[in-house]
Amino acid sequence: MAKSVNQKPLPLVALSTGFVLLWLFLAAFPFIWTAWGSFKVEADFFSRTDWMNALTGPATEAQTGSRFTGDGYYGAWIEQGFWKAVVNSTIVVFCVVTISLTFGTLGGYALARSGFKYTFWLLIAALIFRAMPHVTLVSGYLLPFFEMNIWGYLPTTIIVLVAINQPFTLWMLHSFFLTIPKDLDESAMVDGCTRFQAFRLAVIPVMWPGVVTTGLFSFLLAYNDFTVTSMLLSQENQTMIPKINSFLGSTQQEGKVMYAVAAAVSAMAPLFVLVMVFQRQIVSGLTAGAVKG
Amino acid sequence: MAEMHLKNVSKRWGNFVGVDNFDLHIADEEFIVLLGPSGCGKSTTMRMIAGLEDVTDGEIWIGDRMVNRLEPKDRDIAMVFQSYGLYPQLSVYENIRFPLKVRKAPKEEHHERVMRAAEMVELTDLLERRPAALSGGQRQRVALGRAIVRKPTVFLMDEPLSNLDAKLRVSTRAQIKNLQHKLRTTTIYVTHDQIEAMTLADRVVVMNKGKIQQVGTPTDIYDYPANTFVASFIGSPAMNLVNGHIENGVFSAENIRVPGLRTDISGPVTLGFRAEDVSLAPDGEGELRAPVYSMELLGEASMISYRLGEALVSIKAPKDFRIEIGDEVGTHIPAAMCHLFDADTGESLRLSE
Amino acid sequence: MPHRTFLAFIWPSLLAMLLFIAVPIVSVAYQSLFVEHQQILSEVESCGPFGCKSEVRVDAAAMAELRAEEPMGRYNGLGTYTNPTHLAFDEVREAWATSGSFGNFIGRVMNLPFYKALIFTLCYTFIVTPLVIVLGFCIAVAVNNVSARLKGPVIFFSLLPMIVTPLIGALVLFWMIDSRGVIGATLQVIFNDPQLSLKASPTLTWVTLFVYGVWHSAPFAFVVFYAGLQTVPQDTLESAMVDGASRWERIKYVTIPYLMPLATFIALMQLMDNFRVFEPIISFSAEANAPSLSYMIYSDLRSGDFPLFGSAAASSVLTIIGVIILLFPVLIRNWREFNRKA
Repeated sequence: MAKSVNQKPLPLVALSTGFVLLWLFLAAFPFIWTAWGSFKVEADFFSRTDWMNALTGPATEAQTGSRFTGDGYYGAWIEQGFWKAVVNSTIVVFCVVTISLTFGTLGGYALARSGFKYTFWLLIAALIFRAMPHVTLVSGYLLPFFEMNIWGYLPTTIIVLVAINQPFTLWMLHSFFLTIPKDLDESAMVDGCTRFQAFRLAVIPVMWPGVVTTGLFSFLLAYNDFTVTSMLLSQENQTMIPKINSFLGSTQQEGKVMYAVAAAVSAMAPLFVLVMVFQRQIVSGLTAGAVKG
Repeated sequence: MAEMHLKNVSKRWGNFVGVDNFDLHIADEEFIVLLGPSGCGKSTTMRMIAGLEDVTDGEIWIGDRMVNRLEPKDRDIAMVFQSYGLYPQLSVYENIRFPLKVRKAPKEEHHERVMRAAEMVELTDLLERRPAALSGGQRQRVALGRAIVRKPTVFLMDEPLSNLDAKLRVSTRAQIKNLQHKLRTTTIYVTHDQIEAMTLADRVVVMNKGKIQQVGTPTDIYDYPANTFVASFIGSPAMNLVNGHIENGVFSAENIRVPGLRTDISGPVTLGFRAEDVSLAPDGEGELRAPVYSMELLGEASMISYRLGEALVSIKAPKDFRIEIGDEVGTHIPAAMCHLFDADTGESLRLSE
Repeated sequence: MPHRTFLAFIWPSLLAMLLFIAVPIVSVAYQSLFVEHQQILSEVESCGPFGCKSEVRVDAAAMAELRAEEPMGRYNGLGTYTNPTHLAFDEVREAWATSGSFGNFIGRVMNLPFYKALIFTLCYTFIVTPLVIVLGFCIAVAVNNVSARLKGPVIFFSLLPMIVTPLIGALVLFWMIDSRGVIGATLQVIFNDPQLSLKASPTLTWVTLFVYGVWHSAPFAFVVFYAGLQTVPQDTLESAMVDGASRWERIKYVTIPYLMPLATFIALMQLMDNFRVFEPIISFSAEANAPSLSYMIYSDLRSGDFPLFGSAAASSVLTIIGVIILLFPVLIRNWREFNRKA
């Protein structure tokens, strides 16, 4: 029987499969391990005797009477007030995504449709802005914010995150808008729309995939941010990530490190769901800039 | 209903000249076709009329209004785009209704007007579909329907047939011609296809490199091209152009000698003649004698071509004529059918009448 | 689109970027010229049961007043840039003059805080970036070879290290490499060394951070390359096949050249992101052995009861200059392309 041209040789497939499985293990194991371990006590998760203890959990059974325990979660969420950080995070993330997308779609549309040279310079400036380490910007904010007495509040952080997000959002939405034929808004304008009506009635309805994808990345930026939130928010307004970091300071006491583990797993969970639901959009977003340029 | 006047309209981007001094008067109800190769400025001209592109210099008048500063929506025009510009999220019905809605036409008229337009473009069966579920020809008809649902002063059509296959192009072309005849709306139509231009236009404007080359009825342009560019752009095959000399009314170049031309000029010229205006000559005769370069059967005729220096010269022969490549055959070129062009400028040397 | 419409659409975005990116950069440059007020000392008589003695104390009230008056601190010119915690001109000069060998000189410079951070940041950037590209490419090619059913889950799990918050991702690894964690303990067994700790030695800390960096960013390169692989022109691949190219030759002459622009794109993104490496250093508590430029600024802002604005600002300006040098080739290329088009 003649071998099909497109069939791959067996060793190649075997080698590839092995490599992929190894990578999968590397990528997923730490998370699974930590998620599993978050339901144990410290003596098991950080077992001096045998790492198998983290799986079976003898110390957990001895201390709590069951093989799984929610102590870490209870301690973090209730005792340490992690729930408040979750609420703050939700507010920050929601506002940042909404405002970023509003600003970004307007600006990205303008950049994609204007034929003038300054659009090029604006995009280059945005690229440079995007490369700025966030902490350098933060060091520029602190003093003026102290002076103006707006340091420590959620709205300040939100607008700062929106601004830091803009260069990226602009680039991404700009490249999505470029894929939408100009004919669409132009025919709307000839049909009787103003530029803004054409944008709202003709362009935005077909832009949803791009907006959703960009929104995901704004979400990730706001959700994952540590630099800005840890420096610009006061203790009581802290969001999740700086809160988790502040747990670490108190990990010397027995059991406290499990609070951090539980909080970290809690913060990871929404991201898992996000990847599961929006896998396609994330992939298309990551490649949006690349395929074009 | 209105006439239009484009007064010395120009478009420049930095040093690049897109449209240079375009001046044209368009009569009411006229069907004007802007024809030229891609990048000649014909689309830019149309987009300036629509208000989608700023005018660098000159004035555009629609009826008695100078529209240079008006938004597209205030110019009372309708436009059909090359890739149709349909709203993918709306049904065919809503697509056609869109201009009425955004222009706030009285609500109670909408249905009747949409249905009338849909009937004219034969879409009544497809009104509930989304554009994605339509074929190219159907989408084109939706775009047409959307243009005619209002009574605009001017129709603008930007290469509306170029995304259709050859067969559909012929039938949609006929439909556009028929619609314009019924609606009697001034229409400006942009194309690079000279057959579309010839079949549709009342007058054709041939453009090249941002400049108008010639304005005239299709017959004018075909029979009396103003320069070598127009001559080589119109007709299929295009006019044969041969560089040579004229002396005492005799044109000569390698393998070709045509007597009986005008005697008042001498020096280098370009000779032009159409494939269908000449005929094969009996053995050993003919103004043009050369070995055959190729021979193509077209069905209704046979096409013979010669290689004369740089130029490829095509001759239409009777459909049952056969010859081997490389054999010699003569062609009779009647002097009355010849055009002469200036060798340097390419301008026609026709005696002014 | 006329200028006026353009502006009407873009102003919110532009204003946000101006106020919170452009202005802070300028403000940082300005702040870097100032330094904290000198402490106002006042002699205080403190009397106890065993008589009075005079003591020199910081006058808190006077300090607060001074700060309120001149929040920027006092003008210091470029002094902050040249002081020992930044460019340290004097120390470098001295090290150059007194150290016998070049190695010795490097060693001494490496102990200056700014150079230590700079060198770590550069090493991180230029070691992690190529590794990310290579690993990402290998995963992409391998995934492309396995059966289609596996692809969905593979992409799902592959995205995790990148999507998960960097601070948390690094913490997860940190807990595992803890000498009591699963990897740390396993390594002790493998090397039969109960004292082995990845946190103790500077070299091992660096390596761990690099491993984290590659683990975190490889998915990005993988996804971009994988998407690119789906669009490799089949015609070219098939004509290469007809011309008799082997599988490896097809990868070498068709696939890799086709993916080159993508590699450039990944490299650009990675250089920008890796240059500001920060969160893993916090998570790994690696600041002693492996501080980065970003970390230096952070720790200045966090220091004591009052942030060292001048010092942080000077480090920031130096970092920004670094970013611009890093982006320079890209800017030049864009500039050339732009000129060609115009």
